Amino acid sequence: MVTIEQVQQKLNLKVLTMGEGSTPISSAYTSDLLSDVMANGEEGGALITIQGHKNSVAVASLIGLNTIILCNGRLPADDMVEAAEEESIAILVSQENQFTVSYKLAALLGLCN
Amino acid sequence: MQLKIDLHNHSCLSPCGSDLLLPPVLAYEAYEKGVDIIALTDHNCGRNLSAFSEACEIVGITGVYGIEVNTEEEVHLLALFETPEEGEDFSSWIESLLPKWHNIPQKLGHQLVCDVRGNITEEIDLFLYGAAAISFDNLVEIILKRGGLAIPAHIDRLSNSVLANLGFLPPLAYSAVEVVNLPPTTESNSYPVIRSSDTHFLEDVASRTTLIEATSNDFSGLKEALQKGHITL
Repeated sequence: MVTIEQVQQKLNLKVLTMGEGSTPISSAYTSDLLSDVMANGEEGGALITIQGHKNSVAVASLIGLNTIILCNGRLPADDMVEAAEEESIAILVSQENQFTVSYKLAALLGLCN
Repeated sequence: MQLKIDLHNHSCLSPCGSDLLLPPVLAYEAYEKGVDIIALTDHNCGRNLSAFSEACEIVGITGVYGIEVNTEEEVHLLALFETPEEGEDFSSWIESLLPKWHNIPQKLGHQLVCDVRGNITEEIDLFLYGAAAISFDNLVEIILKRGGLAIPAHIDRLSNSVLANLGFLPPLAYSAVEVVNLPPTTESNSYPVIRSSDTHFLEDVASRTTLIEATSNDFSGLKEALQKGHITL
């Protein structure tokens, strides 16, 4: 089991808002199409994306994702962070791309055998 | 004549639309609020157009029949037609291009088809918010060929808009472009600009409208006014 805080530290992610840092991340989904995330994301998971706007938070909230990892150093609009604070969803920023963040997180989640 | 138009509205068929927003309710509310031409544009699905058309006739308001397509680039594009049959024909084709995902009503919202009296006749299982397997550019061309109006939706929004998702406005023969904010914060490249409610809840009806100067209160009058740019925001 790996928590939001542990993921943040091990992947060296910038914290914009921490959500419930001690909550475990159970899975992850990588996509930039929000309709795809709505249909296929899993509750308790993280979203790896470059969509840095508040609709990402709305989708995360809708399906119960607890973390959004923004890639390629994308910095979101202020209203995204405000919305995430209200919904207790973590927003973490990586300088790396979606592929790299995905395989690193997969390793942390114990999915790489 | 001056007409108040509102060309972007959802009903209870859109998963994100209120379950109380039945097509006849939309038609009546728009009429009450002084709208002359009202469009129903659910996400990727035209199965409420028939009830909406009947309701518009009873209420005495000009209906326009379309959908808001989510293209493969996840850009929202309004496709509007003169008759409910044209709207249904176009939208059944779009439905066939959607990914075969199931809706989860408890999480994503109900997708309700109803009749003109507001009785729920069907709940759609296919998730209607997916991205259709057709490109934005191709779709604009197809809508225009079918005699419809092709209007990129909320181009000044950060998501699901042509500018946010493609980064530029491809030079196509749009009937108009829709903005949310006034004055428009984005370049509209001299295309006619309109505003619409993008109604998802009852209280949104007629919250953003556009005035046109038209020669007739019908689809051809609307089309001509947009072409000539006879528009007041």
